Amino acid sequence: MKQALAIWFALAALIHAATLDFKEMSKEINAPADVLTVTADFEFTNNSDKPITITKSDPGCSCVSVQVSEGKLRYGPGESGTLRAKFDMTNFSGTVDKMILLFLNDDPADKPSQILKLKVNIPVLVGVEPKTVKWDLGAKAEPKTIQIKIIEGQTIHVTAIKSSSDAFTCVLKTVADGRHYELVVTPRDMNAPGIGVFRIETDCKVQKHKVQQAFGVVRKPSAAETAAKP
Amino acid sequence: MNALGQLTAVVAISFAAAGGTYFIKGPPKRTYICDPATLKPDEICLEQIPADAKILWVDARQRSQWEKSGLPGSVLWNLDPAEDMQAFEAEIVPKILENPRVIVYCGDENCGLSHEVAKRIRALDLGAQVSVLRGGWQALVDAGRIKGSSPAS
Repeated sequence: MKQALAIWFALAALIHAATLDFKEMSKEINAPADVLTVTADFEFTNNSDKPITITKSDPGCSCVSVQVSEGKLRYGPGESGTLRAKFDMTNFSGTVDKMILLFLNDDPADKPSQILKLKVNIPVLVGVEPKTVKWDLGAKAEPKTIQIKIIEGQTIHVTAIKSSSDAFTCVLKTVADGRHYELVVTPRDMNAPGIGVFRIETDCKVQKHKVQQAFGVVRKPSAAETAAKP
Repeated sequence: MNALGQLTAVVAISFAAAGGTYFIKGPPKRTYICDPATLKPDEICLEQIPADAKILWVDARQRSQWEKSGLPGSVLWNLDPAEDMQAFEAEIVPKILENPRVIVYCGDENCGLSHEVAKRIRALDLGAQVSVLRGGWQALVDAGRIKGSSPAS
């Protein structure tokens, strides 16, 4: 009986032990500003003594597509392959971390055998800070400033500011042409709630960075903010 | 009985027991269980949200999924390349001003999109309290909060 149990446990251990050996489990890519997709190749080998089948890969985002060596999903002992992750950066900027869950053989639906990590650094060509300028209802209508800064090494001009609302006045100031601007926003009426959407248009050649957006709001302070005030 | 015979007997008994359990009790219920001790700083369990709390729910799944089975009253904000991020921003700002308690959910626990969307909502700097629902949409289904679903026992 002892022998049988030993064989049983050894088999069970083997089933759980089999994973693919990746050259790198994580990759970092510095993406150029003007590309929309980046590709990362994760090379692997089956160094176990039994076949391994990749049953599912889950990048957790429709922005990442995963392909394994032209569709080959079963790898015998000693066989190698490549998992290619293609990341569509259209709606991303700054540092983005993505995880690719890899389910092998009989992995349960919530426990992948392996997790690959992809870090992509996407340049922020036009920085807008803060995204929202706020005033409390009934307060003094003091002007507030939104900083518009261009990334080091680039020259991008603000060509127009378009406001969705007449409830705010917007004045664009040039601090350094093509490098740094200030958008000074002042509400006209402090006795009624209001929202303004400010479209900051630039001559940036990269389409996704061309138009930025900021907001101005006059609103009743939230209970949390009221409580936080001394 | 030799080792092989004994192994066969162990396997047969195991399968018989498993089969009997499945026949009597049915398939296993995979209800999502949220352990508050394992939450990341910006996450929340569904059980921690009071039933009468006024929440702005944000669905970070694909548009087709949100249209088919989104939480009633939720708004869509995903990072699909086909979507317009600035339109999402413009749509959510007035809603946050009305209700600054925001909870983002994605498909399931594996989906990291809800954290990314939560980060973008915080970056709007509207003073919203933004959390990510641990377990995502699946947790809402298990709790019977999605139209057509019933609470798992």
